Amino acid sequence: MEKTALEVKNLAVAYGTKKVVEQVSLKFPAHQITALIGASGSGKSTVLRSLNRMNDDLATVTGEINFHGIDINQPKANVYRVRQQIGMVFQQPTPFPLSIYENVIYGLRLAGEKDRQVLDARVEESLRQAALWNEVKDQLNSSALALSGGQQQRLCIARTLAVRPEIILMDEPTSALDPVSTSQIEDTLVQLKEQLTIIMVTHNMQQASRSADWTAFMHQGHLVEFNKTAEIFMNPQEQQTADYLSGKFG
Amino acid sequence: MRPEKTDKLATMLILLLAGITGLAVLAFLAYLLVTGLPHVSWHFLLSPAKAFQSGGGIRDQLFNSLYLVVLTMLVSVPLALCAAIYLSEYAVQNRLTAAIRLAVEVLGSLPSVVIGLFGYLVFVLQFGLDFSLLAGALVLTILNLPILTRSFEDALQQVPTLQRQAGLGLGMSKWRVTTKIVLPGALPGIITGMILSAGRVFGEAAALIYTAGQSTPAVDYGNWNPFSPTSFLNPLRPAETLAVHIWKVNSEGLVPDARAVSNGAAAVLIITILLFNLLARLIGYLVKRRFAK
Amino acid sequence: MDELNQSFKPKPTVAFRRKKTTDRLLAPSVETRQEWGGKLVSCLAILLIGGLVVTLFAFLINKGLALFTTDKFSLGAFLTSTDWRPSHHHYGALPMIATSFAVTVLAGVLALPLALVSAIAITELLPNWVYRVLQPVIELLVGIPSVVYGYVGLTVIVPQLGRMFGGTGFGILAATCVLFLMILPTMTSMTIDNLRQVPQQYRLASAGLGATRWQTISRVVVPSAKSGILTAMVFGMARAFGEALAVQMVIGNAAIMPTCLLSSSATLTSVLTTGIGNTVMGTASNNALWSLALLLLLMSLAFNLLLRVISRKGVR
Repeated sequence: MEKTALEVKNLAVAYGTKKVVEQVSLKFPAHQITALIGASGSGKSTVLRSLNRMNDDLATVTGEINFHGIDINQPKANVYRVRQQIGMVFQQPTPFPLSIYENVIYGLRLAGEKDRQVLDARVEESLRQAALWNEVKDQLNSSALALSGGQQQRLCIARTLAVRPEIILMDEPTSALDPVSTSQIEDTLVQLKEQLTIIMVTHNMQQASRSADWTAFMHQGHLVEFNKTAEIFMNPQEQQTADYLSGKFG
Repeated sequence: MRPEKTDKLATMLILLLAGITGLAVLAFLAYLLVTGLPHVSWHFLLSPAKAFQSGGGIRDQLFNSLYLVVLTMLVSVPLALCAAIYLSEYAVQNRLTAAIRLAVEVLGSLPSVVIGLFGYLVFVLQFGLDFSLLAGALVLTILNLPILTRSFEDALQQVPTLQRQAGLGLGMSKWRVTTKIVLPGALPGIITGMILSAGRVFGEAAALIYTAGQSTPAVDYGNWNPFSPTSFLNPLRPAETLAVHIWKVNSEGLVPDARAVSNGAAAVLIITILLFNLLARLIGYLVKRRFAK
Repeated sequence: MDELNQSFKPKPTVAFRRKKTTDRLLAPSVETRQEWGGKLVSCLAILLIGGLVVTLFAFLINKGLALFTTDKFSLGAFLTSTDWRPSHHHYGALPMIATSFAVTVLAGVLALPLALVSAIAITELLPNWVYRVLQPVIELLVGIPSVVYGYVGLTVIVPQLGRMFGGTGFGILAATCVLFLMILPTMTSMTIDNLRQVPQQYRLASAGLGATRWQTISRVVVPSAKSGILTAMVFGMARAFGEALAVQMVIGNAAIMPTCLLSSSATLTSVLTTGIGNTVMGTASNNALWSLALLLLLMSLAFNLLLRVISRKGVR
């Protein structure tokens, strides 16, 4: 087994008194892409959002989330630093109404970085990592809102990368995009895993089988099966997994 | 009667009544402008009021009204903004929040004369501010806070949640997300809300007659020291506003040309409010165009 | 795709970063301080507003009860006696209460149908450009200061009423006209908003069943906006009840029980505006005025409660 980037133990999430996730335990391997799949309402997005404490205001999250041997789900944990280390990319592209350049260095600026050279270098590095550099290098100062949906999403990935996180969480990152943009982003993800760990939620089975190394199948708030993607798709151990993959529900 | 006939009859009746109402209201507006505008001149706007003779202007009243708007905004905007941020970004759904919302709503529904009396009791008598611009500004702040807080909160709520999440996902503190992402996005709504409430403050009279007072001492428009008693900027001097002036010349009847003065003053009030409204619309329009690009 | 390989050099080793990360994950940071500061500032602002409301109520209740506690005037007499002569220590507030209610109800009842037909005409019958043209006009009318309404009442409506019915023209009818004019724009614009919120499908569905436009309006559109229309009316009436100067200018200010619509009367607000400056703080006649203010405060609370009840019914 490879190195573990993030380990979840007995994770349970409740909105008020309504339990939506229970007893989820799994280890996300480092430098791999892990896909969380399952029908809508299975709790996969809730789990993902709990991993960098984005559910703090909405739900009660119990259980351990170990990151470098520290439980980041404890009240004492510094959520801001947690989120800087474990970044997040959302379903819809969320560019700020600023220039492309300003979008990418947004996190750095707020962290107090003023050195123009450092900023310039980081913009280029992050945009190259997100495979957007060649398309936008001549228009860094134009508005990010003028980009296409797929470009905006890659810009958001670059913006997250610019903070240099170790893990990126992606919540259905391509569901709002066309097939061409989707495959561009999938290519980007595969290249990115050399530098970091990616955990993504997807409802798109092909996407999971194309780009994920590992796949976790969730059903009604429980983790049903977690294995190498090829194993899950070719040889599911649980009946529910097999049913879901063959399209019997979801 | 056949439904078609009823329909025709009802439609005609509605249009007739609505037309009469509309004409009455437009006649009211036209009357104000037609009788008022001829009195509005640079002389009228720039010369001081006279107590017992005709030919007085509204210089001091106009300035007082505008100055009071500025003072009120200086106090109420930061307060209302922070309160709106709390309600929109931080408040959790519980009894305390519900109680606070109720308090804001109740405050907003109180008659301005009641708030004016409270200001008289507390600011004028208790705090010893006497009839002064400051007491007036504080009372107008109380009047303005609920309206501003609500419009600011609405403006903040208009900013998509996703933008907030994107900021939080980068590891920003909620306060930073609010000030750096949400506030800029809500700015057009915030400015519109400010301008519209400024219009209301500008025309308020009932809350001011016992707080800012009904008279203006001779002030020196060249004296820029706000602490000097003769300075026009001194916030501790009494100040009669335009709206109070209209009320006063009409209820006291000491000025021979009360009609002319009030017609002119009313026209100035309305035009100023119109300008405030147009400005708010213009900003809304400009912003819409910017977002459409 | 090899753009990545040319430009991207590997990050510092994982071991190095890990050690730093471990310490940093638990320690507070700049963001923690920002968050505390921000929460504190916004919390203080909201507490200030809350405190303000509490103080306001405390002061007005305290002052308003002085007539009954310090001056030992009976609450029953205050509410039911028609004799208001502060110089003789008679503080019967019934004339003002009755007049306040009379002008409010009359203005509301007069304004409701006209606001409703205007709103129906604008949203349902007339083309959309009419709405776009009229909306700024209505907004302007909503924003016109009440003193201006009172002034027009004093110089146009009062003399006109005097000519038409004889007498001075001051009185409940004049005040009703002024308040009607004042609340009509507010009520119309609220009603328009409510009618526009009725989903277009309702109208289409009704028309699809063969209903005429009037049938659709009277059986579908207006009923589904009912609670909103009622809210607009109560909102307008609450504003009319609390209006001071516009009423004070045209009502004649005689604190006697109103006998007809054209005789001089006085409302709670008009007595307050004229009286507060003419009495000495702490005297019984001054305290009686504060009791009127308290009454005004309680009435606006009652209107508030009524609005809540109506809108809650609307949700169901």
